[in-house]
Amino acid sequence: MILLEAFSTPVNYFPILIQLVLAIGFVIVMMGATHLLGPKRKTTDKLENFECGIEQEGNARQPLAVKYFLVAILFVLFDVEVIFFYPYAINFRELGWNGFIAVVMFVAFFILGFTYIIKKGALNWED
Amino acid sequence: MNAIVLSGIWGVVMMFAGLFLKSSKQIQWTALLGIIALLVVSILDYQAHSVQAQTYFGMMTIDVYTSWFSILITACCAMYLLIFHKDIAAVGKNEAEYFALIFFVMCGVYLLASYSNLLILFLGIEILSIPQYILAGSDKENIKSNEASLKYFLMGAFSTGLLLMGMTLIYGATGSFDITSEKFVGQFEQLSSMSSLSFVGILLLLISFGFKVSAAPLHLWTPDVYDGSPTAFTPFMATIVKVSVFVAFIRLFHFSFGNVSDAWQIAIASMIVLTLIIGNVTAVYQQSLKRMMAYSSIAQAGFMLFSIFAVNSTLAYKGILLYSVVYSLASIGVFAVIIKMKDYTYDGFNGLAKKQPVLAFTATVCLLSLVGIPLTGGFFAKYFVLSAVVEQGKYIWIVVFAVLMAAISAYYYFRVIRSMYFKTGEAAMHTEPTTWDKTLLILNAMIILLLGVLPSLVFG
Repeated sequence: MILLEAFSTPVNYFPILIQLVLAIGFVIVMMGATHLLGPKRKTTDKLENFECGIEQEGNARQPLAVKYFLVAILFVLFDVEVIFFYPYAINFRELGWNGFIAVVMFVAFFILGFTYIIKKGALNWED
Repeated sequence: MNAIVLSGIWGVVMMFAGLFLKSSKQIQWTALLGIIALLVVSILDYQAHSVQAQTYFGMMTIDVYTSWFSILITACCAMYLLIFHKDIAAVGKNEAEYFALIFFVMCGVYLLASYSNLLILFLGIEILSIPQYILAGSDKENIKSNEASLKYFLMGAFSTGLLLMGMTLIYGATGSFDITSEKFVGQFEQLSSMSSLSFVGILLLLISFGFKVSAAPLHLWTPDVYDGSPTAFTPFMATIVKVSVFVAFIRLFHFSFGNVSDAWQIAIASMIVLTLIIGNVTAVYQQSLKRMMAYSSIAQAGFMLFSIFAVNSTLAYKGILLYSVVYSLASIGVFAVIIKMKDYTYDGFNGLAKKQPVLAFTATVCLLSLVGIPLTGGFFAKYFVLSAVVEQGKYIWIVVFAVLMAAISAYYYFRVIRSMYFKTGEAAMHTEPTTWDKTLLILNAMIILLLGVLPSLVFG
């Protein structure tokens, strides 16, 4: 406890402050130096956004079908389901049968949801 | 506890009923069956918990008050579904989903009535709110409905953020989410030992609750949302949802923050004054009856806030129980008449008494109850919440002010009665009420009148 108190005064954090200033200063100096010293050749091709080497056309902000959002949301839902399996897999033995029942119930609810969206036609791409 | 499980499961059942049941009638009957089952289960819950309170995993405490409130609110919801089930199915083509969402909201209502942990409070508020955002926007073709949904969603999300921030600060001060734990209770034993963190936390919670119950100055979303939502869902949002948030509100602020009431009473007092004056005065200028009822629900929330204001008074608990039931039934009764009309303006109601005497009569009883005329339940509801404040002895002038505001409210409620009885007109109907509708409306009005004579029926 005494040891902890000895190291928790503001003065003890001074080296960290110096390190922070140095780190930020180094970045600023290097970036500024490259901008000031480096050669500049501006052409239209160079200023364009890089799009896998293909020439870009049109605006990216076009309306797109609501189906993409639907699929994206459903993907997130079922993705989250998989995330919940990791803690269960790690504690598989400790949780025993109770844990197993809980997970089966969890999966059952998700399967119900899955049947619901299939039956509802949420994944039908063609109308 | 069983009611929570059943309401969640029945929501799923309703979703699948929409897939497998072909006719709209069958879906409506499934929903009615569900709400009756829910009512039975909550009565069984009440009998199971009437002897002693039971705590589930340190998260929920179900005692006799909680389960009694669950019965009352389920009965109100049953009344709502019985009266409106056809109109709900007529809103759009996803009828089963609307009923499913209503059952999910009921799940949130039970959570809010029984939480003993701030996490469950948060979960309950979210389960309560998210289905409502969908219900508000369920009339997809109508731009007003879309506006209502988006507005409700954005504002609701923001206020939930404030709620979380308040909980975080209180957690920082107490080190516990459990409102029954020693750490939590100890923090709020007296004002002098309370940390400034929890002071800010309480105020943030107050603001967030004030938003959910649409108390001024956090009421601005209410008229647009209640007016824009399909008329079948507005009474649900304005009654069952609102009063259950009040019960969560009173649970936290009386049981946990009751001893430090000096920290937040002045905030509530100013909220009450603003809510009463803005709700009542703005309602006077409305032309549409639906919008007037939205402002009226703000004004009524001002009266319900009195029960939060009067700390540690049994009259306040009685008042909020009676107010919940009476206000819910009266609003449902008025909306049941509004939804039958073609034109929602005052002029649209001209001559209704000649054309549909039963509708005009039941609407009159409900409106009188909203004003607080003796012999209707609304009188005793207002009497209990106001006398709770008088009993407390602080800020008596607010009571005088509230009575004055109730007098203003008489103006816009009586204006509807005047249109129906003393003006001649067509009173064009959107749908003709069936005998079954009329029976239910009369039953509704009878309950309101009965509670005006025997208010002790709702005290359990």
